[in-house]
Amino acid sequence: MNMSGFQQRVKQAKAENLWLLAGLALAFTPHFFRLSLLVILPSIILLCWRLLFELRYLALPSRTVRWLLTFAGIFATWIAFGTLMGRQAGVGLLVIMLCLKLMEMNAQRDVGVVIGLGFFVVITVFLFDQSIFMGIYMLLVVTLLVTALIAFSRDQSVIPQWANLQKAGIILAQALPLALLLFFLFPRIPGPLWSLPTDGAGAGTGLSDSMSPGNISQLSDNDSVAFRVQFDTALPPPQKRYWRGPVFTQFDGRTWSGPYPQRLKNHLSIDSHYQVSGEPSLYTVTLEPHQRRWLFALDLPAIIPADSHLSADYEIIANHPVRQLVRYSMRSFTNYQLAKNDLPDISLYLQLPTESGPRARKLAQQLRQNAADDADFVQIILNYIAEQPFYYTRQPPLLLDDPVDEFLFDRRRGFCEHYASAFVFLMRAAGVPARVVTGYQGGEMNPQSDYFIVRQSDAHAWTEVWLREKGWRRIDPTAVIPAGRIENQQDLARILPEMAETGATPSWLKKIGRQLNFGWDRINHAWNQWVVNYNTQRQQDFLSQILANVGFGNIDWQEMISLLVAGMTLVMAVVAVYLLRPWNRRNQDPAQVAYGRFCQRLSRHGMQRQPTEGPLDFARRAGQQYPQRARDISRITALYERQRYSPYPTHKNLQQLQHAVRNFTL
Amino acid sequence: MSHTAARAVTPRMSLRHRFSLKRFFVGEGPESGPVFLAQRRVYILPSKMGVYFAAMMLVMLLGAVNYNNSLAYALTFLLASVFFIAILHTYRNLLHLRIDVEQAPAVFCGDVAQVPVMLDNRRNAARYAIKLQLHDQQHINIDVAGDQWQRNNVPLRTTQRGQHAVPRLTLETGFPLGLFRAWAYVQRDVSYLVYPAPDQHHRLPDKSSYHLDLQGDRGQGADDFAGLRNYHAGDSLRHIHWKTVARRQGMFTKQFGGDRAVELWLDWDSLPTLDTEARLSRLTRWVLDASAAQVNYGLRLPNVHIPLNTGLIHQQHCLQALALYGLDADAGIS
Repeated sequence: MNMSGFQQRVKQAKAENLWLLAGLALAFTPHFFRLSLLVILPSIILLCWRLLFELRYLALPSRTVRWLLTFAGIFATWIAFGTLMGRQAGVGLLVIMLCLKLMEMNAQRDVGVVIGLGFFVVITVFLFDQSIFMGIYMLLVVTLLVTALIAFSRDQSVIPQWANLQKAGIILAQALPLALLLFFLFPRIPGPLWSLPTDGAGAGTGLSDSMSPGNISQLSDNDSVAFRVQFDTALPPPQKRYWRGPVFTQFDGRTWSGPYPQRLKNHLSIDSHYQVSGEPSLYTVTLEPHQRRWLFALDLPAIIPADSHLSADYEIIANHPVRQLVRYSMRSFTNYQLAKNDLPDISLYLQLPTESGPRARKLAQQLRQNAADDADFVQIILNYIAEQPFYYTRQPPLLLDDPVDEFLFDRRRGFCEHYASAFVFLMRAAGVPARVVTGYQGGEMNPQSDYFIVRQSDAHAWTEVWLREKGWRRIDPTAVIPAGRIENQQDLARILPEMAETGATPSWLKKIGRQLNFGWDRINHAWNQWVVNYNTQRQQDFLSQILANVGFGNIDWQEMISLLVAGMTLVMAVVAVYLLRPWNRRNQDPAQVAYGRFCQRLSRHGMQRQPTEGPLDFARRAGQQYPQRARDISRITALYERQRYSPYPTHKNLQQLQHAVRNFTL
Repeated sequence: MSHTAARAVTPRMSLRHRFSLKRFFVGEGPESGPVFLAQRRVYILPSKMGVYFAAMMLVMLLGAVNYNNSLAYALTFLLASVFFIAILHTYRNLLHLRIDVEQAPAVFCGDVAQVPVMLDNRRNAARYAIKLQLHDQQHINIDVAGDQWQRNNVPLRTTQRGQHAVPRLTLETGFPLGLFRAWAYVQRDVSYLVYPAPDQHHRLPDKSSYHLDLQGDRGQGADDFAGLRNYHAGDSLRHIHWKTVARRQGMFTKQFGGDRAVELWLDWDSLPTLDTEARLSRLTRWVLDASAAQVNYGLRLPNVHIPLNTGLIHQQHCLQALALYGLDADAGIS
């Protein structure tokens, strides 16, 4: 390709369309990672087609072909998603239709429509990803689209394109303070206004709603954040940091699952059923979206957050799947006694599949006979795990026929799920009510800030055993495995928190890496607090807190609007004064200004121009006074006269005059 | 009067006048000096595209509420802010501009008059994409660099001979985002002259109405320049009028002949069969032809008598008389 010819084509292409294509391509890119190839490929082809048209390599398709392409596009979307409704299919349809619109974008009006739809695509990207990175990336897209608008409005003006980009930057920068005001002060209306789509938004890791210890599974190596916690009270000690999630009571020999139908607890009260000692922990959880309905709380929750309910097993279940960051304030008692005297539905916690685990049943019954009571039996089983060669491993072997017996007697290698499952099985086999609790254990403080991070890799499974007169007791069978039998040193600190300090000192590189990691997490946390999760409640809290500092009480939406209008007016006024500079309305002729300066310079030397004296007369008089400067004086006067009284004053002439006056000295 | 010589006049106006709708749709009426676009003279409203964008932002806001999506809120608010800021930028693109509409050179009816419009930008920032339009005529798009003035010709189609007031000039801009349309009206008390359209078919008859002076030497001498005639083969090269050759206006031979030059009377009464406009049109053609032939000609109209003469000023004089013939004297010459 002839390079200069290509540059020529770029130069002659419609600038606004090139900016628009660049903006659209960047806006589509995040979608391309989650849409079907059936949508992506045609979109890319159509984008390229338009680009080649702009560079005059290709013609646009005819009307018939456009119609065919439109039907093909709709059909492809339908094939790809099986529907045209819902979030994914809707986005697919928007992307492909927008690309098709490019095929017939001729009129000026069409360009405006497409730029507007481009902004719409940006919104749809946010439905899937609200990370700080995506926010910044989309700001770039918006800049490109605004540049397209500017190039578009310039029409036939010939201006270097970088100036358009610069202008877009200036406008966006001036808009930013207004946008911030709107963001924080515009009254947030609690949604949704209409039903949310039910299709999953794909990504999002978290705990599963069932547990099958024998299946191929690997412990999560995922260091992504599950949730962050801000403690208002003291941080509980490490052995109390159990974050309760799904509780499993049903076992079919292979898989643990929750009771079905779900049993709900209608209210939560601290009474004879739930006795507490010590102070409650007060904290706020910011939970990353994980597409399921669990909300996590420190064992044992004492309140239920809004828009959620509590199951009989003390799981907090949100009314809708957590598809977006949620934030809730919690209160938990880490010292509690639950169902001390009486356990309803006791059979539920003794259920076992009839066929599985004959050897385990035998062992349990045998050991139970040796035990003094249930509590003693629990200790005996824990000792059994500690003494027998059980290993903790991230890659457990597959368990084929009878996962329980195979694990307990043959393989003896597994992670928390295996131990919790086996332990509950043994308990139930001996007639002790028990259940599996999953959730997270541990977490770490961000040393650069004041919040606590719990990661996906902190996921854990433990058990609860019901003992008469003592109620439900948390037993973590994984914790009794001696350090020597833990395969991976990294797991050591997690399973045995008191061992955390004994590990080898990490290298300085690792230390820096950790610090950077915490710093980045801190930024993310702030982003979550102030941007992603800035909702009705948080707005109310934030604004009321600010107003409280200046002596006002709570704020309602009318006051927010008033504050918003006042703030925006102020900002607009500042920008207006800056842009319009009303005092700078240079009504005066620059030639006159320059000549005035010249006269002033002369008058400082006593050469005063009389009010009735014309410039020519004055020049003659001044020339006689300063003969060595006479040439300059008459030149300036001539330039001034020409500028002022010629019907065709030129800019060059003015520049000469200004230059001559600047250099004029006596 | 030069635009720089007069200061812009912005007289105080009453509140009633300031908010009158007439100002909004029509403008200020004719003004006598250059116009300075003060705040109250620039109007601004959302453009069609602006309305479309506003509707789109509303939909985006609904989406943000429904999905409770903070970044969707953020984007909507950012775009709304850009929308607000665009008001100021668009307004500023016209504000404090000085405009003068000048006398347009006369044209023949049916031709497009070029009305010189002087734009004086005394701000050091450039102004872009300003649309200049005279009433409902074709518009031009211009940019004005910072601290710069420029003269642009705005086209004006002519349909009637005579002296006409230059219609209202509309300055309009959508820059920078096209979401708003700012406009201002300027009407200066200047007029332009439209000559009758010259008759296309009936050129000046060769000799028929020439009143010849029989004593002359028919232009063969060389002592007294009398005019030009078409070149004939054999004419002396010394007598060729090289200026017109250089200008590609044709080849003419200089004629000399002192008092014996051709005298030509273009007479209204010599065309009794035609109606007024056709007569004027025919006479216009003849004036042009006679002028091109450099003959000594005069014009006789009822009530108007322009003596024999030659030259450009004489031609303009004649054409002006033809343009204004029979029209109200009030529409007179400025």
